[in-house]
Amino acid sequence: MTAHAEHLPHDEHHHGPPVPHYSSRMTPAVLGMFLFIASEIMLFGSFFTAYFFVRVVAGTPWPTPPFHLPVFVAFLNTCILVTSSFTIHWATTSIKRGNVWGLRAGLLLTFLMGLTFLITQAIEYSRIGFNTSDGAFATIFFCLTGLHGAHVFVGLSILLFMTIRAFRGHFSAEHHHGVEIGGIYWHFVDVMWIVVYATVYLL
Amino acid sequence: MTATTVDHEVSPRSGGARHYLLGAGWIRALWMSALFAAFGFGLVVLLRWWGDWQPIFKWTPIVLVSILVCAPLGFLAGLGTFDYWARYAIGSPTRVDDHSGHGATSWKDYFKVNTDHKVIGVQYLVTTIVFFILGGMLALLVRAELAKPGTQYFDPQTYNGLFSVHASLMIFLFVIPAFAGLANFAVPLMLGAADMAFPRLNALSFWLLPIAGIMMLSSFVVPGGAFACGWTGYAPLCSTHQPLGAVFFNQGVQWAGASSIMTALNFLVTIITMRAPGMTFWRMPLLVWANFTTSLLVVIATPFIAGSQFFSMFDHVMHTAFFDPGNGGYALGYQHIFWFYSHPAVYIMMLPGFGIVSEVIAVFSRKPIFGYRLMALSLMAIVVLGFSVWAHHMFVSGMAPWLRVPMMITTLLIAVPTGIKIFSWLATMWEGKLRFNTPMLFALGFLSMFVIGGLSGVMLGAVPIDIHVSDTYFIVAHIHYVLFGGSVFTIFAGMYYWFPKITGRMYNERLGKLHFWLTFVGFNLTFFPMHLVGMEGMPRRVADYAPKFASLNMFISLASFGLGMSTIVFLYNMITSWRNGPIAPSNPWRGMTLEWLVSSPPPTFNFDEIPQVVGSPYEYGVPGAQHAILAPARATEVEEVTVP
Repeated sequence: MTAHAEHLPHDEHHHGPPVPHYSSRMTPAVLGMFLFIASEIMLFGSFFTAYFFVRVVAGTPWPTPPFHLPVFVAFLNTCILVTSSFTIHWATTSIKRGNVWGLRAGLLLTFLMGLTFLITQAIEYSRIGFNTSDGAFATIFFCLTGLHGAHVFVGLSILLFMTIRAFRGHFSAEHHHGVEIGGIYWHFVDVMWIVVYATVYLL
Repeated sequence: MTATTVDHEVSPRSGGARHYLLGAGWIRALWMSALFAAFGFGLVVLLRWWGDWQPIFKWTPIVLVSILVCAPLGFLAGLGTFDYWARYAIGSPTRVDDHSGHGATSWKDYFKVNTDHKVIGVQYLVTTIVFFILGGMLALLVRAELAKPGTQYFDPQTYNGLFSVHASLMIFLFVIPAFAGLANFAVPLMLGAADMAFPRLNALSFWLLPIAGIMMLSSFVVPGGAFACGWTGYAPLCSTHQPLGAVFFNQGVQWAGASSIMTALNFLVTIITMRAPGMTFWRMPLLVWANFTTSLLVVIATPFIAGSQFFSMFDHVMHTAFFDPGNGGYALGYQHIFWFYSHPAVYIMMLPGFGIVSEVIAVFSRKPIFGYRLMALSLMAIVVLGFSVWAHHMFVSGMAPWLRVPMMITTLLIAVPTGIKIFSWLATMWEGKLRFNTPMLFALGFLSMFVIGGLSGVMLGAVPIDIHVSDTYFIVAHIHYVLFGGSVFTIFAGMYYWFPKITGRMYNERLGKLHFWLTFVGFNLTFFPMHLVGMEGMPRRVADYAPKFASLNMFISLASFGLGMSTIVFLYNMITSWRNGPIAPSNPWRGMTLEWLVSSPPPTFNFDEIPQVVGSPYEYGVPGAQHAILAPARATEVEEVTVP
């Protein structure tokens, strides 16, 4: 993931690549993550377009009676996810100052909060009282929250890998690229949830 | 990527039989595909049993999850595309400067996961040519059926499957990835970089392609036959009224789309961060500019086709109601979302070709490219405008009528930047010392044919004409003039142009010219009459037609077989030249861009020292002009490498 080449001196010129020249102040990995997020925003964009068509253009009542959405539980869940954005920030600032235990605690807390969010959502699904085949409202509800849930799952996997590496001592004040990039993704997942929550539950 | 891959990655580096089974490669790919497929099967059955959904063994979701999602992931994991990341994920130490999977020494290395952009470029090109031939054969079957009115060989459903798979293969498995393959080879060299920014991601994005192609082709053998609603897959026809094959299409598009998003991301990062010192944006060759703009389009637009195919597939498999009006859905939404990608996609299929043609025309006219900056800016203009024209595909769909005129105006506007490019190429050739080698012939063929296709495009942009010829053979003629006469000609130009650099051998010029003339004549004889039958009202996508079109259709079919035959000349030339062609010099066309300054084929890591760029890449005919300087130590090494 980190294409951060160690610039070891090459004793034999013929067998190694030349010392790379970077023409941008942004590292390739960070830029790559931002572009990936741009692409992800467009994927969410297509789902929100479907939401727009169903709710605004086709005029589907929201939520379609007799169904209703657990707005309050989802609000608590939102709070958990937003808090996890602060803990991951704490983790990255810690490692920048060389505080390995701050990093480990921050990552672990973030992971646990993300997991709580995902489990809460799974329980919400099982008790919500409707299924994907129950009309356009149910369709959009499951697909938007499900798409976001899939992103939380990916984010959690990244956090898990980072936590493993943090506990094995791979990160230091100089080498913490992985945490930084994983952190950017996690912030994206959080911000996206706020948009999903606002459009699906509140509006 | 997936947590499940982690367990299998601790592959022993030594030990015969164990290494054979557990080491990255085709054996492991085989059993891991089976294992993952079984896992997917178990997952679906378990969930259905747990949720008490009857019947528990429902084949559509089972095939989707286990065959179309899990098995390909197992294949990729088994082949070793995830090995490095998996090792990173479980916290093992990783060597960032491990180049064991870089470069090819025998043909077997092309069947492995390779991180060398040059090897990946060749993998792309060979794979796409295979799919080009398969897609072409499907087209010939279509023409065989259409040679006479009435039904000859295929029932209507099979016929619809033939042209649907033909279009999908040509678009998703030939034109888009063939450009990605050429750019993969050329762009890092042109930038003066040793490789792409993310070589492992590059390898992964290649291996997604065969998966997508096999998925689309194999939809012929699943019960119910192939998807038969055209490559556009309009809902609700394709989402709920099609056999299982439609899901193969939906999912195949996802794999191909993921591949092109990853490649585009890689190109963008490479172009932004890996340029050689002195290579400012205004000194980049136009091929690099073209791929920069194309990649922007891919990264921004492709998620929309992913979305549209997800919705269509969910409607099919999970009985959601995205496009089901009876259930609160909005059927026209599919077309809006689909064309919001697929109109930019026609530029994704054309801009890299513009780049190739700019290189070829400048080199073979021995003149600086005319209006270099405007050429680059017009690419950007096309990117921006390309997002504002999608609904011109929907003039007859019943969409909001007020959308028509704005979309017509933007559509006509987009002819302006395209026109700038055409005139710049003409001005570049003006009073140049033209050399008519095969790449130049294809570039000129492109220029003339694309003007015809562009003009019929302007006609179609006008609402009244569009309404008259919608869903007729006029559309078929137009799309082939821009995609065959446009994109495919530029792909051929690029393949001939870089053939000496890629293989280290020269192709046969006489056969190349024969191939060009056969293609050029066959192409026009095949597709030009389609304008006429289209104007007369012959509908596309129908197996049968009115007897009055019989003679022209027989003519078209015969010409199309000739066009098909011309590919044999191409293949023969490529294969024999690669094996026995004369050794190519490092710079056969006297080009100035960086790839021509290294040996043919280039050394494993392209450059020993990153070169210094000192000027414009197109100063042909300017005395003493230089684009880049290689480190002096390097010049002697070039000589050593040239002799294999």
